[in-house]
Amino acid sequence: MGNGSKLKVEICLGTTCFILGASELQDLAQYLEPELLDRVDIIGRTCLGFCKDRKFDGAPFVRLDESIVIERATVARVTEKIKAMLKEKDAE
Amino acid sequence: MTSEKTPTYELPSPEETFVEIECCSRTKTGETACGDDFRSVRIADEGRHIAVLSDGLGSGIKASLLSNMTTTMALEFVRRNMEIVQSAEIIMDTLPVCEYRKISYATFTVFDLLPGGLTRVVEMDNPPFIHLRNGHDLKWPADILFSERWPDRKLAISKFRMVQGDRLIAFSDGVTQAGLGSDACKFGWRREGALAYIQKLVDADPLISARELSERVVAEACTKNPQHRCIDDISCLVIYLRKPRRLRLLTGPPFNQEDDRDFAETVLNFDGHTIICGGTTANLVARELGRSISTDLKLIKYCGGLPPPSKLPGVDLVTEGILTLTECVRRLESGEYRDAPLPVSNIITFLLESDVIEFIVGTKVNEAHQDPRLPVDLEIRRNIIKKMSGILEDKYRKKVMIQYF
Ligand code: FES
Repeated sequence: MGNGSKLKVEICLGTTCFILGASELQDLAQYLEPELLDRVDIIGRTCLGFCKDRKFDGAPFVRLDESIVIERATVARVTEKIKAMLKEKDAE
Repeated sequence: MTSEKTPTYELPSPEETFVEIECCSRTKTGETACGDDFRSVRIADEGRHIAVLSDGLGSGIKASLLSNMTTTMALEFVRRNMEIVQSAEIIMDTLPVCEYRKISYATFTVFDLLPGGLTRVVEMDNPPFIHLRNGHDLKWPADILFSERWPDRKLAISKFRMVQGDRLIAFSDGVTQAGLGSDACKFGWRREGALAYIQKLVDADPLISARELSERVVAEACTKNPQHRCIDDISCLVIYLRKPRRLRLLTGPPFNQEDDRDFAETVLNFDGHTIICGGTTANLVARELGRSISTDLKLIKYCGGLPPPSKLPGVDLVTEGILTLTECVRRLESGEYRDAPLPVSNIITFLLESDVIEFIVGTKVNEAHQDPRLPVDLEIRRNIIKKMSGILEDKYRKKVMIQYF
């Protein structure tokens, strides 16, 4: 499987996200099961800009595949969402 | 940048020489105070620099008191151009007398650098200084002066001219006597040993900073001693006349978005290093210059609870803003930065290796920082930078400028 088909997981490491929990999220790789880990591409990002956007509820933010924004992200929520998205992908 | 925002400060021209003065001292193992003392001043309106290193008799608090009094007085007398023998007499008259040895004593070396490179050195009983040019130890004839009242004290005074690239080095006898009595150096490391080591370092890195050179000499002296202990206070003072090293640190987005382009372009065609502290700031520079940022998550384990540094082509370092800068200020203030988290030690290394530092501060308020869940002590960028520049000027003798956008 090429890198292109991996699920892109962008973790915001900007100040706001970092203080409000991204410091835990940066270890996401350690919590993911090996099969999941193989299928994702985890990337650290400088402020994604969502923290300044009233539309969103709150930091920390994680973005999946450049489209899905997870607000108030936790390791559990991100893992769950990754699983769901991979399932969808498989179904396609 | 619009014309009314043209900076009003004056930048030193590239040909100008910067005088880097650094002294590294280590306290004798087991003592709480260092018996060597170093003091320096930059007298801007005279274009003059004075640096003094003194070694007080013995070690610990008493020695520290002697050397402190000596550097304080010597600096003041030289600054006021007082007659030198008389000054030395006043110093010796003033120092408290040691109960056992019935003498009052602290050695000293004074470097007095005048504009145009004219230099005067006054030495009393410290190991003879080194004037290094192109790797050679230049020897200057010295006038020897005696005090009538203190006939066993002699002052050596040398005068010469320095040019860009020259270094002056002085040390306490903790350097020359390091390893004394050991098999490797029966008579200690001596001036020749230290000189050879310095020449080797300069040969390997001709632009080695005064800071690094002084630290390396002291560290090497320690290795000469049994178990690498400091059996005496060990100090090395280095003065390096060099082309100014410049650093530009950008932090915070500009107040007006129209200025983003000008702001971003400050990292282009700059003769020096550039750092960006702040993700949003880095994003906007990347966007304006059409470059992209990457962050290596593997570095996290070295970051001590701070976001990891990122990479942006054309910029030497990119870090998170407020948290990282706040920690930098704390470390610079306390002077304990050797084991700082990676992004902080990266920034501090750049800062300390530079002579002229420009802060380019964007003043846009970060709306996200209004989030009520955030801790209240998230300091305002402008205050952090103000504080940092104060410390860099006062404690680290840097030339600092702040420009707001
Ligand atoms: S800090 Fe994460 S979106 Fe701004």
